[in-house]
Amino acid sequence: MPVERETLRVDAVRKTFRGELGMAPKEVLHGVSFEAHRGEILGFLGPNGTGKTTTIKIILGLMRPDSGCVTIFGKNAGDRMALSRLGYLPENPYFFPHLTLREFLHYCGSLSGIDSDLLGNRCDEMMTLTGLSESADRRLKGFSKGMTQRAGLAQAILHDPDLLILDEPFSGLDPLGRKMVRDIMLDLKKKGKTIFFSSHILPDMEALCDRTVIIRDGMVVRSVSMDEVFRMAGSGTEVIARGCSEDIIEGITDYIDRVASRGRETFLHVKKQEFLRTVIKHLYNNGADVLKVVPDQLSLEEIFIREISGDPREPGMKADHMSAVLPGGKEAHDE
Amino acid sequence: MNKISSIAVNTFRESVREKLLYIVILYGGILLLSTFILSPLSVGAAGGKIITDVGLAGISLLGVLTAIMVGSTLVHKEIEKKAVFMVMTRPVSRHEYLIGKFSGMVMALGLLMLIMTAVMAVMIFIGRGVPGAPVFLASYLSLLEMMVMSSIVIFFSTFTTPILTSFFSICIFVAGNLSGDLRAFAQKFGGAFVGYFMEVFYYLLPNLKVFNLRNEAVHDLRFSGSDIVLATIYAAIYCGAILYFAFLVFRRRDFS
Repeated sequence: MPVERETLRVDAVRKTFRGELGMAPKEVLHGVSFEAHRGEILGFLGPNGTGKTTTIKIILGLMRPDSGCVTIFGKNAGDRMALSRLGYLPENPYFFPHLTLREFLHYCGSLSGIDSDLLGNRCDEMMTLTGLSESADRRLKGFSKGMTQRAGLAQAILHDPDLLILDEPFSGLDPLGRKMVRDIMLDLKKKGKTIFFSSHILPDMEALCDRTVIIRDGMVVRSVSMDEVFRMAGSGTEVIARGCSEDIIEGITDYIDRVASRGRETFLHVKKQEFLRTVIKHLYNNGADVLKVVPDQLSLEEIFIREISGDPREPGMKADHMSAVLPGGKEAHDE
Repeated sequence: MNKISSIAVNTFRESVREKLLYIVILYGGILLLSTFILSPLSVGAAGGKIITDVGLAGISLLGVLTAIMVGSTLVHKEIEKKAVFMVMTRPVSRHEYLIGKFSGMVMALGLLMLIMTAVMAVMIFIGRGVPGAPVFLASYLSLLEMMVMSSIVIFFSTFTTPILTSFFSICIFVAGNLSGDLRAFAQKFGGAFVGYFMEVFYYLLPNLKVFNLRNEAVHDLRFSGSDIVLATIYAAIYCGAILYFAFLVFRRRDFS
């Protein structure tokens, strides 16, 4: 049997919401396209109100797109076969408050078609995994936000799905809860499961994702792999030093392209890696202290901000540099 | 089938864990008890008949009101609070969801009926002697009436708010009890258009009169067994048709 490489495909999906009480209709998705591969953790990033949750609902078959299509394991969204291999954690989940956690998981498991002989053990496993064993017989209406989120994760992975869709899985969790979710996600990835999740917590996304799809105003503006993020390191390096006079900097202007000062610290951007030794040596020999050497590297956050705000800043340019003037009044420009 | 029964059991649990059901049972108990207290004030054998009459009417009315009150929020609340996502993102089709909801609601209403009928039977036994079969059959027909009303409530709750669902359902309940009379009235006094209009109305609305065996139960009159069978078939067909229309609406629905 051929291995399914493509788990999820979203192809040119458009969605318009009908305007209420005379308001004009609003198109919220303008041809969203991306795909997730087997064993991949794919992040879905975008500011609030850009269509992340709508996209997720269309993937799940909870909404129909106006045009375009979604396939999960080659089946259309909402197909029973596709749904049987899918687990979902909604944003701000609301479950059945009249049920105990055990009853809730039993209910979800029976709807997913888990054999009744296996269901009891599977529910116990999930409660242990999410640290909720002691609350097994408590009604869900008494659960805190973090506990509800854990219960949501338990029901999402209960039937061992091949594709997991998590909408803001870290929302409402304390640091321990976040670590637990991260560990579970990485463990599932090891087992070859595909995870598609949206989050606003960029460090978590950076630590977990193989690839991130960035959406803005209902359009995918970028799909970036974490390898790419690491490769986006600029060719230069930033040296942070103290005690740099204009005379000292004068001697290395050929090797640096930007200088900025903040308080007693001076930020020198060295043009190329090979100039670094010369610059540091020059600073030491002239009595300046080198505090830090930072290689150019973009974080996911910087990429996200650049894509969302349309900021054309190049890699390595830190936003908080106040001034950038080379000695002799020569101004260094942000490229 | 397993999925439908899971949804039905969950709905049943939800309904019986609602305080509303207990309030209705309490209210029904008080109502039945009051007829028991008031019946000695009537002349002769009429006292025993009052218990049966008011008891059966109370069961029917409270049952239908409960069906409307519980049913109008049941589906809507799950959609509004997004708990429906937990079901719809699993391999469960929308018709299974609706049939499960309906079945669970009927199970809860059946329990309510059973309790109220048992209380009434005990009171009839004390006030009048062993209750006859018509009393229990009248209760059974009230359950069928509740089933029909439940399907109507579920139909409305797939696309409108609980308040409008309750309003439309009450209107249909009233019209369903009067549709036969209105049709006869239109045939006798109305013009061709009114007659035609009432004819359509008559066949479209549920004829709830077929579920009323109270007169026979109160006065120990003879009744035809085929009426019970026909009423059962009628309820099954009507519920099936309404649930099918509910499915047609529900399957097109986006969950935003």
